[in-house]
Amino acid sequence: TKEGVTSLPICPNGSINCQVSLEELFDRAVKLSHYIHALSSEMFNEFDERYAQGRGFIAKAVNGCHTSSLTTPEDKEQAQQIHHEDLLNLVVGVLRSWNDPLIHLASEVQRIKEAPETILWKAVEIEEQNKRLLEGMEKIVGRLHFGEPGNEIYSQWEGLPSLQLADEDSRLFAFYNLLHCLRRDSHKIDNYLKLLKCRLIHENNC
Amino acid sequence: VLQWPQISKCRSPEMETFSCYWTDGNFYNLTAPRTIQLLYMKSIDEDWKDCPDYITSGENSCYFNSSYTSIWVSYCVQLASKNEVFDKKCFSVEEIVLPDPPVHINWTLLNTSHTGLHADIQVRWDPPPTADVQKGWITLEYELQYKEVNETKWKELKPRVSTMVPLYSLKTGRDYEIRLRSRQRTSEKFGEFSEILYVSFSEPDSDCFQCTEEIGFPWFLAVTFGACGLAVTLILILLSKQPRLKMFIFPPVPVPKIKGIDPDLLKKGKLDEVNSILASHGDYKTKLYNDDLWVEFIELDIEDPDEKNRISDTDRLLSDDHLKSHSCLGAKDDDSGRASCCEPDIPETDFSASDTCDAISDSDQFRKASEKEEDLLCLDRKDDDESLASFANTDTQHRHMNTQSGNIQLWPPFADNIDSPRPLVHAQISNQNSLTNTDFYAQVSDITPAGRVVLSPGQKSKVERAQRGGCTEQNFTMDNTYFCEADVKKCIAVTSHEEDEPHVQEQSYNEDAYFTTESLTTTSINLGASTAETPSAETPVPDYTSIHIVHSPQGLVLNATALPVPDKEFNMSCGYVSTDQLNKIMP
Repeated sequence: TKEGVTSLPICPNGSINCQVSLEELFDRAVKLSHYIHALSSEMFNEFDERYAQGRGFIAKAVNGCHTSSLTTPEDKEQAQQIHHEDLLNLVVGVLRSWNDPLIHLASEVQRIKEAPETILWKAVEIEEQNKRLLEGMEKIVGRLHFGEPGNEIYSQWEGLPSLQLADEDSRLFAFYNLLHCLRRDSHKIDNYLKLLKCRLIHENNC
Repeated sequence: VLQWPQISKCRSPEMETFSCYWTDGNFYNLTAPRTIQLLYMKSIDEDWKDCPDYITSGENSCYFNSSYTSIWVSYCVQLASKNEVFDKKCFSVEEIVLPDPPVHINWTLLNTSHTGLHADIQVRWDPPPTADVQKGWITLEYELQYKEVNETKWKELKPRVSTMVPLYSLKTGRDYEIRLRSRQRTSEKFGEFSEILYVSFSEPDSDCFQCTEEIGFPWFLAVTFGACGLAVTLILILLSKQPRLKMFIFPPVPVPKIKGIDPDLLKKGKLDEVNSILASHGDYKTKLYNDDLWVEFIELDIEDPDEKNRISDTDRLLSDDHLKSHSCLGAKDDDSGRASCCEPDIPETDFSASDTCDAISDSDQFRKASEKEEDLLCLDRKDDDESLASFANTDTQHRHMNTQSGNIQLWPPFADNIDSPRPLVHAQISNQNSLTNTDFYAQVSDITPAGRVVLSPGQKSKVERAQRGGCTEQNFTMDNTYFCEADVKKCIAVTSHEEDEPHVQEQSYNEDAYFTTESLTTTSINLGASTAETPSAETPVPDYTSIHIVHSPQGLVLNATALPVPDKEFNMSCGYVSTDQLNKIMP
């Protein structure tokens, strides 16, 4: 279901000096990341139901995601130890790395035979919301005055050919993988942002 | 039955550790003591490793503490004994999160109703201690369920993130049970339920008046009595002799009527009365009509209402006796009621059965009456007698567009209605010769004195007629729009129409555009010539035209298929006149 996340103007009155509080920025970011993860989950489940049954995709134990090359905290201790700047940069880097695959996902998923309308719609929606989240995160990063922007954190996606394979089974498996990775990474982003929000805004007292 | 060991589930309560549980099956009854192992593999490129902790989570379990647990990483576990693999599962830890139930559940009284019989309470709880909600590592949702102690079905509240919720309007006389469970906010599956919390209220105030079971508003009695009272009132009104009251409560549904025309009067059909009514509308000069003719068929209308006569009339109407089952030609069984057919400006009038019957009978009579009069009527058109006679009993059935006289029934049959299902007519028409192609109606071109109806020929025969004599010179104006068809026939031009289908010219119409349908047709042909405009090749000439406007009292304006009519002297012999002609004659 669509949450109806709307975009509020950053400066409602158009005044020059207005600034949305960092709290508000984080609130919006967390809302968006939650929404994106919910959509990804649903999309993966629908795809799984519709195309993956009986094909043993799960048993193939998901291939690595293209963002695996980025070293991100993998448990709570690591996440707590990492500096919030680095974590934010990582978040931005992961979001950037997903820009390209999401665009192609939205277009390639339409070529799947009889793709359900919900999957098509979600692919487009996720791509849009991801862009907005990226913008929001860049604002937050700018607000916290980081020394250097995290431009280096980026992982190139090479998976387009696999989405265009002629063999339907291989192609569907490629989609399955991509959607699985998307669900995972969106959960990761969502978690990091909630962590950061509780750490920076609520001082670890959510 | 041999049951293999199976991994029953793997679960992480807080996204920091996880455990896997399995069932033995009855495998061990058959073989050596247990050697089951749980092996795990993290991501794809590592080896299978043995479970680090078989104990902490209980029997047949494997516990992975936080150092072994990585989130967002694929794990595979398999149940094996020596080299035999019994079961295998792959997952990521964030997918198997099932939080513990909330703790420290309690309730407080918010307020009590005036009667003391109902109360609102607020239920509070804490998140499970294992889940690190404070740091935001995991976000939880809670679902509360409650019921009365002796009920069986739990009521559920919507899952929420907050750790408190009000419950409204609980009965103070009853005891309640409350339980809660939680889930990770992005998941669908809930963890286990908490322990049940019991809610009971203290003794109600001994001062209260109705401390027994509160009697709800006696809805049932109120509704019953109300309904009875209303019914009685309505019956009394219905039965009362007070028409005004009755009309007030049950206003009569208005039927369509023409101002000044009483449908009942028309039904009775006294010509004089009808004439007087019509005369009151201004220019309807009905006196000119051949009373005999009218009387004749009106009488028929009254005195021979039975179907048999009608049938025979229609038989005569048509050369072929194909009348099957229907008493009224083209009568369509519909509910529109007699009165509705009198509506002059309903374009697509579907004739009510009775009206069409009347019409038919009229036209029958007309035909009967005028068949002999044919010669009389159109004496100066001798050359056309033959043609007249030739289609005296034509195959096609035409509908007489007679808008004058007491027959307020204006039947604007038109092209559209061709398609309307008229089983009877269709049956008849289908039996007719191929000259006709579209007609569902027959136009009565004339009525002999004997009462036979002279029908206009089909379109093709019209064409043939049209071939004869042209009158391109004739100056047809729009004023006087009735003319004897013989006249028209003379004026049929040859040039401007195609072979098979005379076409209706899109002409501007004028007031007083009364036509017989046939005259329309023929005039159309003629017009085509006179205006030197080729009629369009698409539309066949209908044998009728639709009434566009009722220009009371001058008459009807027919729609675009209407055609100009020669300006002629009023010729009584044609048996009908336009109002213009009448005007000319009557001062």
